[in-house]
Amino acid sequence: MRLHLDNFTKCFDGTPVIEGLNLTVEDGEMLALLGPSGCGKSTTLLSICGIYRADGGRILFGDRDVSALPSQRRNVGVVFQNYALYPHLTVEENIAFPLTVQKKRTDKAEVARQVREIAELIHIEALLSRRPAQLSGGQQQRVALARALVRKPDVLLLDEPLANLDAKLRLEMRSEIRRLQLETGITAILVTHDQVEAMSMCDRVAIMDKGEILQIDSPTEMYRAPANRFVAGFLGNPPITFLDGQTAQEGRFAMAEGLTLPLPAHLRNMPAGRPIALGLRPEHFGHGGAGQASGRVTFVEPQGREMLFDVQAAPGVTLRSIQPTRDDVAIGDEVTWSIDADRMLAFDADGRRL
Amino acid sequence: MTRNFALFPLMVVIILVSLPLMTMYGFLILDTFTDAPPGELWPDEFTLRHWRFLWDMSAAGNVWMATLNTAVLALSMVAVVVPVSSLAGYAISRLNLPYRRFFLAGILVMHAFPAVTLLIGVFFVLKFTGLYNTMIGVILVKGALMLPFGIWIMKGFYDAVPWEIEMAGVQDGASRLTVFWRLIVPQVKPGLVALSVFAFLDGWGEYLLPRVLAPGSEMTVMSVLLNQLIAGDDIGFDFNLFKTVGVFYTLPVIALFVIFQNRLMTIFGGGTKG
Amino acid sequence: MSSFADPTLEGARSSRPSRARRAPVSRLGLILMAPAMLLLTLFFFLPVALTGVFAFTDLSTSTGIGRGDYVVTPNLLRELGDRGMSSADLEAVSRASVTVDAETIERARAAGVDGRFLDDIEGDFLGRSFDAPSDFERDLRRLRTAPRRARDLKSAAALFETSVLNQRFTTSDGLSAKLETLAPEVTPAARAQIVDASYTGARFTTENFERLATQKETARLVANTFLYVGATLSLFNVGLGLFLAVVLFYTPKGMSSLFSTLWLLPRITPVVLYAVMWKWFTWEGGFLPILAEQVGLPSFNYMKGSVVTAWATMITLNGFIGASFGLILFSGALRAIPVQQLWASEVDGASRWQQVRRIILPQMRWPILFVTAYQTLSLLSSYEQIWLTTNGGPGRTTTVWALEAFKTALSNYTGNLEYGMGAAMALVLVVVGLVLSLIYLRLFKFNELVGRPKIEI
Repeated sequence: MRLHLDNFTKCFDGTPVIEGLNLTVEDGEMLALLGPSGCGKSTTLLSICGIYRADGGRILFGDRDVSALPSQRRNVGVVFQNYALYPHLTVEENIAFPLTVQKKRTDKAEVARQVREIAELIHIEALLSRRPAQLSGGQQQRVALARALVRKPDVLLLDEPLANLDAKLRLEMRSEIRRLQLETGITAILVTHDQVEAMSMCDRVAIMDKGEILQIDSPTEMYRAPANRFVAGFLGNPPITFLDGQTAQEGRFAMAEGLTLPLPAHLRNMPAGRPIALGLRPEHFGHGGAGQASGRVTFVEPQGREMLFDVQAAPGVTLRSIQPTRDDVAIGDEVTWSIDADRMLAFDADGRRL
Repeated sequence: MTRNFALFPLMVVIILVSLPLMTMYGFLILDTFTDAPPGELWPDEFTLRHWRFLWDMSAAGNVWMATLNTAVLALSMVAVVVPVSSLAGYAISRLNLPYRRFFLAGILVMHAFPAVTLLIGVFFVLKFTGLYNTMIGVILVKGALMLPFGIWIMKGFYDAVPWEIEMAGVQDGASRLTVFWRLIVPQVKPGLVALSVFAFLDGWGEYLLPRVLAPGSEMTVMSVLLNQLIAGDDIGFDFNLFKTVGVFYTLPVIALFVIFQNRLMTIFGGGTKG
Repeated sequence: MSSFADPTLEGARSSRPSRARRAPVSRLGLILMAPAMLLLTLFFFLPVALTGVFAFTDLSTSTGIGRGDYVVTPNLLRELGDRGMSSADLEAVSRASVTVDAETIERARAAGVDGRFLDDIEGDFLGRSFDAPSDFERDLRRLRTAPRRARDLKSAAALFETSVLNQRFTTSDGLSAKLETLAPEVTPAARAQIVDASYTGARFTTENFERLATQKETARLVANTFLYVGATLSLFNVGLGLFLAVVLFYTPKGMSSLFSTLWLLPRITPVVLYAVMWKWFTWEGGFLPILAEQVGLPSFNYMKGSVVTAWATMITLNGFIGASFGLILFSGALRAIPVQQLWASEVDGASRWQQVRRIILPQMRWPILFVTAYQTLSLLSSYEQIWLTTNGGPGRTTTVWALEAFKTALSNYTGNLEYGMGAAMALVLVVVGLVLSLIYLRLFKFNELVGRPKIEI
């Protein structure tokens, strides 16, 4: 089902924290709300499911305006960060709970059948008689998913579902959740502050900051062409390096610290003296290209397959490069590496990409 | 715990300080089945005659009836305090009450407020409502005076239940009442048990209210019976008998305390984090 | 819970005019609160209000609770005479007259006077009045049906006497009308004064507070209360509690739980039994006096025999109950101190005393403050234990404010319970209690407790 937030506004104590937000999630799509903590992504999620009530605008499920409906009548499934399983009920009772509190009574056999069906889908048939305290984190996560899906909700909301798992389980559950979403074809929103999660699991990513959606795009497009400096800085690990300076003569860029670089091709015609910022991703330094920079290696961080180098190109200016592991460069060495100037990102003084 | 220090001097000090209590409670038990010659501290004779009041009603009045009455009072306390506190505690902990801050502050102030000072006012209320001299009046008053404490304790227990449980319940389509009853109440069972035991003990030991608010009531409770025994001079002064009746009266308290000691500890601290 | 970031942090935006809809009131919340509110209103708020109202009355056993009547008594007339009312008026009011009318005949019939006799009286004298009872008796004796015995006749005749004296009137108008018919010569002003003075019910007055402010006894009560609260609190509730907590902190687990249980006993022992134990401990023929005699010290009833020992007993027996409160709270606070801090100090070569003084005690400030605030309130108003043990004696030397208020209003031997005065004394405590508990509320960092409900539906 298509989900649409139309001019959605949410206030706390009279102060708007989200104002006039518009967002559409297409039917069967999985969208990530990505942003630093405090950006309003959880507030948005809790408003969609009806825990918070919207102070302005409309929330539409398909054509149904649910803004004024209480949670109970929105038909939304939610998986919480700490799973929120009911500790005193068995797994089976947990999953059956949404069915047993429905207005129209479902008979016991039917409840059992639906519970078994969803348990099979999520591979937890063997756990049905246990209690939450006897389950591992990953198992609890699965039960929470089963409980959220059992009554066939219109929308599935996932609030930091992987945050409480260890690294290996996180990888496993990432693909598991995506598999379930694709199999059931449910419209889903994933709230997370982890860009890898957002990019690997979702069709589109919405980046939020300070209550606003800065950009909505597919993960690759967003990484390649971020709308502004915040998005560029938020995506990418190791992060992008920003260089603040001015345009100079002959299509070059100059920093007060002394470093000069060629501008990306589409900006070569800019008049000199404009303040701009260039963003250099580590994978574009030392991998061929028109520009180059030299400096002293100040830090080397081996990561196994790859290595991270910090190069001091000018006093106070450190460029970062990621390269396949090599052992011919050590701290203190002077190096001159190429810069792929055309793939550098450029931003104006307001942070908008040029 | 840290063990770098000598233990012995500490033990001596703590035993010295506790000596009066150890003496009082030691002799309390000892004197119920022994007799000492007049003017002597140590008993020289084993006897069970101090327990004769259990079957000889002329020794200390009808203790069985009084025990039953005390149990009724104590259980009624549980029946009033626990349900009322757990409903109000939930509302105050989790629901959008109007003037919620005011309610909370009120409960907290009443929790600390010395309720006995209201006894004179309570006396008038009972006179006007016709509940003076009835056990029902005593139960309602005692229960009401304990409510701020009970609500505060229960609020603490509800506060400790994760919000997500409640949110999940609401998402699953349950009404707030269903969520409360089927999901939240099971999480605060330890609190309900602790408060029940505490309310029971409080009712069981109560002396002032039955004595002052229902002096003419037919229902004599153990505390009043025991004090009448001491105040009255028809039996003569027999500390061993008083103590034995007292121990009999206190046995359920000790039993409950032993069983629920750990759960009660939070409550004896006033239900407060320091 | 971390995913629900503090909303106030999220909203670091400019403050626009509020568009917020208030979160809807939870009807369920009001329903769940209802039973508690009912009970609290009846037995908490109403008593506070009544204490406040009755503090300004002279309500007592003699005025009775509820509405009073209007009664003119010989005593009242004497009093009015003392206040300067003319003796002619007083005589007029106290005068008895004899009237034969339907009312008095009915009264006589009800009293069991022979019916035929009454019929004759009705026939002969109906509507007549006699100024002197003796005239009426003389006339009655002439009737054929009159009782033969003089005493019966006299008592029958007395039934026809009407006098305003000792008659109860429920309204002031009733008394006023009666006075007018019986003593028409009394001026309306004097009559109003008599009617007003004859009211037996409670009146509004500030006399209670005037008495409290002027009588010498007040100063002693206040001093006693301060001594009692101060000594019990500092020596036991805080002092001993802290001492026990620190010592038990260093003792092995089994030992420390044994002693904390022992110290909890006074709190769970029913108060009447606790009082019995202390009587046994301190009275003549009890433990301490016998022990004292054996070692040659003065031996007497320590609880009531001398002022010093009575105070010592009273403070100790209350302090033993309170010590456990401090013990539990302080022990909790001690366990919250990271043990690494203690290890570090030991590695640094601190002695135990230094460890306690420099590391533990500074971290106990908050709990000490808390125990002090909380226990001041309960000590200030506690009198049950004192009532059951020293009962304020010897004399009134150990009487504290709360006990005196209680005795004045609800329990004394003279039989006249001064509710109004007791309420006035209780009101003082209520006000002090309210002020102290508001201070206590501030200590509690109240705002941290008032988290917003996270579900807005």
